[in-house]
This record gives sequence, structure tokens and C-alpha cells, in this order.
Amino acid sequence: MRPELLVRPSSLAHLWKTLPSLPRDRRYLAGGTDLMIAASHGHAGDCWVDISGLKELRSFRETPSSLFIGSGLTISALAEMPAVKKWLPALALAAPHYASPSLRNMATIGGNAANGSPCADGVCALCSEKASIVLLLKGVKRKLPLPAFFLGPKRTALRKDELILGFEVPKWRHVSAYEKLGPRSYFGISKVSVCVSAEISGGVVKETVISCASVAPVPLMARKAAEFLYGRRLDEGTISEAAALAESEASPITDTRSEAGYRKAMVRVLAARALAKIAAA
Amino acid sequence: MKKNKTESLTAEKGLFTIALTLNGRPAEFRVKPNEFLLDALRAHGWKGTKKGCDTGDCGSCAVMFNGKPELACMIPAVTAHGSVVGTIEGVGTVDRPHPIQEAFVEAGGVQCGFCIPGMVISAKHLLENVPDPSEAEIKKALDGNLCRCTGYVKQIEAVKIASKKLRTRRASK
Ligand SMILES: Cc1cc2nc3c(=O)[nH]c(=O)nc-3n(C[C@H](O)[C@H](O)[C@H](O)COP(=O)(O)OP(=O)(O)OC[C@H]3O[C@@H](n4cnc5c(N)ncnc54)[C@H](O)[C@@H]3O)c2cc1C
Ligand code: FES
Ligand code: FES
Repeated sequence: MRPELLVRPSSLAHLWKTLPSLPRDRRYLAGGTDLMIAASHGHAGDCWVDISGLKELRSFRETPSSLFIGSGLTISALAEMPAVKKWLPALALAAPHYASPSLRNMATIGGNAANGSPCADGVCALCSEKASIVLLLKGVKRKLPLPAFFLGPKRTALRKDELILGFEVPKWRHVSAYEKLGPRSYFGISKVSVCVSAEISGGVVKETVISCASVAPVPLMARKAAEFLYGRRLDEGTISEAAALAESEASPITDTRSEAGYRKAMVRVLAARALAKIAAA
Repeated sequence: MKKNKTESLTAEKGLFTIALTLNGRPAEFRVKPNEFLLDALRAHGWKGTKKGCDTGDCGSCAVMFNGKPELACMIPAVTAHGSVVGTIEGVGTVDRPHPIQEAFVEAGGVQCGFCIPGMVISAKHLLENVPDPSEAEIKKALDGNLCRCTGYVKQIEAVKIASKKLRTRRASK
């Protein structure tokens, strides 16, 4: 069911002013690629607030130590930015696996997070790059580590009317690998994705962050596997041990896209592939 | 439609009036609040854009939306107010086909034809940005356009032929 009322505020200030007059059951509309599907499967609010025109949500800022990505930037816009290619290799690598070119022109990174799905590719990449999420409600901003934003399937820390303003990602010298297993090589929601970002210095792992999509109620951080790798060399032995640890951390379910047992086994395979790519980089 | 700081589009007698630029000309559509751009286009006689799935999966409804290919089945019609839209009717006609359309015919890349408008929109955007694409680039650009008839080989071939045709056309200008 699609709503009968659509509102299109011209700025954040107008958004906050307009909200109290709107029906209580209201939803933000960004690229619409998740909301439309929700609307065709059931009720998706009495009113949509179109935030796609808000310039404040499309900002991109670079400081000496971090990047800020506005929630309203589309996946295709992000994938083309030189700063993303340089500092956010995981996000750049995830982009081609993300839906189709025309969908990437519509889908926003903010919508990817707000939707609260554990299979979100943009979220999985940003989690491995140590992103924080910045939320805004009227004048009040708060910042959470991105993994802490997800509370359960389709459940996030967003309060009523709260907006995702964007994502703050620290600059750190890392290499990344993104391994996605979907119904075909490109275009399709993942059965399992594993993303690894790592800083290697003098042949040993200085830091690594491993995130996985579609294998837990929320985007999964494989912390045991990452801790195990600290200070070690990436050789066949450590890779296979870390991949086994990642598998042990996953708790997938069986659904229309895949089966729990297969998904769990594939976490090990994809984690090993990703780590091998990083070792070779 | 009233236009103030916060544009609140409210329906009059159940319909919104939206104004857009369609294939280079101004157009005005009366649309239902819950209507999609794809349905609005087709209801107003622009039937070149096809509905394959209505869920963003097949690409047959691709149109140029403010300069980029987007999926008309996922764009609420009201949000198209003020936008610039290009459909297959704006690319070429039966009497005056676009070189890309000629190439699809020459390569034998058209069977039932349902996926072709979307394919041509994607191919045109690719060739405008990458005039001489590699096979991998062609595959990537057509990634979201599903075809249940051809097996894709001849369509990839068609884009290669189109790239040559457009190069010749540019050279002769
Ligand atoms: C055919 C198809 C294929 C897809 N393939 C993939 C894929 O491969 N990988 C993947 O990760 N996803 C995929 N998706 C899912 C979807 O495209 C993404 O999750 C997308 O990033 C959602 O962004 P959007 O801007 O379209 O969100 P919308 O649909 O506009 O919004 C989604 C939800 O987030 C809320 N919201 C949006 N922006 C904000 C904000 N700034 N603050 C607060 N709340 C907000 C909305 O109210 C809504 O509840 C696919 C979808 C389709 C239809
Ligand atoms: S009809 Fe829009 S993608 Fe299939
Ligand atoms: S030619 Fe029939 S779907 Fe492509």
C-alpha cells in the first residue's frame, strides 16, 4: 500500500517545522528502492516525506583524519569519488556487487543502513572500514559506531523521526577485499558477503576488521577472527584458522535465498578468499 | 499544485498535477498519489517503456531520469515533478531509428523485444560516457537488463556495432 500524501521539504529546517503537522505513521523516502518493495508487500506508512532533495544530506567532506559521507549520496555517486577509491577501498569494491547500475543511481547509502537489513552491502563495507553513523533529530546530533546501530532484523537505533545525517569514517591505511556470494556473479541480494579491511605492516597484521552480511540477525563483526590475526603473518595456516573462527561466529538462518548450513560453511570459504587476496595485495 | 517552502503535494480530487520535461518537451500529467512514473507514462500514451517485474529486478522500465538511467517502476510519479525524463520514444522512431536501435536489429539482438527499450537506454548512457567500451564494460552496463529470449550474446555484439556506427557518424560530422 502506498500512502496518499507526499511531502517534500526544501531544507532540514523546513523538515523539522513540517513534521508535527503530518500523519503519525510517516516514512522518509530517499531512493525508494527498499520502501517501494515494502509498499508492495504491505503497509508502508500513511505519508512519505521525500528527503531526496535535501542538500544537507548529500554533503561529502574530507579532513586530514576522516571522511564524512552524507546519507543521501547514491551508491553510484560514491563509487565514482576519488576520495572513496583512495580511503574507502571496501566500499569501492562492494559497489559493483550492489544491485544493478540503474539501481545504484537511485539507492542511497543512508537508506541501505536505515532499512536495517543484515544483507546490506554498503553497510557491510562501511563496518569493515570502522565507520560511525551520525544521527540527527531536530537540533540534536548523536554518533554511534555503525555496528551498534543495528539491533535486530529490520530494527535499528533510529528514534521516531530521527534522520541519518551520514557516516564518519577514519582515514587509515588499509587494503580491503569484498567477497559476495549471490544468485549470480553480479546483481542480486547476497546469500553471504564477507568484507575484510586490514593494515599490514612489516608483513604482520597491525589491524584487521572483518564484517559479514546475511549470516546473523544484524551485520556481523567477526571479532574473534580479527583478534586472532593481530600481530600474525597472513599465511595458509593463519588464514585457515581465522576463517574457521569467522565461521564459528556466524549464526545464519534458512530463508528464501539460502540455507543456514550452507551459509555458515561459506563464511569460512569467503573469509579465506578475502584474506588470501589481502595477503597477495 | 501549491508550491511553497516545504512543497506539500496534496491531491486535488484525488489527483496531483506534475510538470516535467519529457523527451525534451514540457509535459503535464495528472497522477494518483500512489502511482509510479512507469504507470503514469504508460497511462499517458508513452508505452515504449515496459513493465517486466514492477519490483526493480528486470530493467525493462529504465528511463533517463535527470541524466542517469533509473527504474521508472520505483519512482513515485509525484517525485518526478520538476524532473527531466527521457524514454525510448525520445531515442528514435521506426522511421528514424537511432544507430543503437539499428545495431540491435542488425545484430539479431531482438526477439520478443520486451527488454529492448531498457537495454537501449542503458547502452546509450554507456556509449555517451564510454564511446569505445570493452566487452566487460558492456556487460557491466547491461547488468541490470534481464532478457528471457536471447542469451545476451547478440545484444553485447549490438553494443559493439553501435559503438562503431557512432564513431563513424562522429567522424563524418
Ligand atoms: C532489485 C533490487 C536489488 C537490490 N540489490 C541490493 C544489493 O545488491 N545490495 C544491497 O545492499 N541492497 C540491495 N537492494 C536494496 C536497496 O537498494 C538498498 O538497501 C538501498 O541502499 C536503499 O536505499 P534507498 O535510498 O533506496 O532507501 P529507501 O527505500 O528510500 O528507504 C529505505 C528505508 O530507510 C529509511 N530512510 C532512508 N533514508 C533515511 C535517512 N537518511 N534517515 C533515516 N531513515 C532513512 C526509509 O524511511 C525506509 O524505511 C536492492 C533492492 C532492489 C529493489
Ligand atoms: S519493471 Fe522496473 S525493473 Fe522490472
Ligand atoms: S528479447 Fe525478449 S526479453 Fe529480451
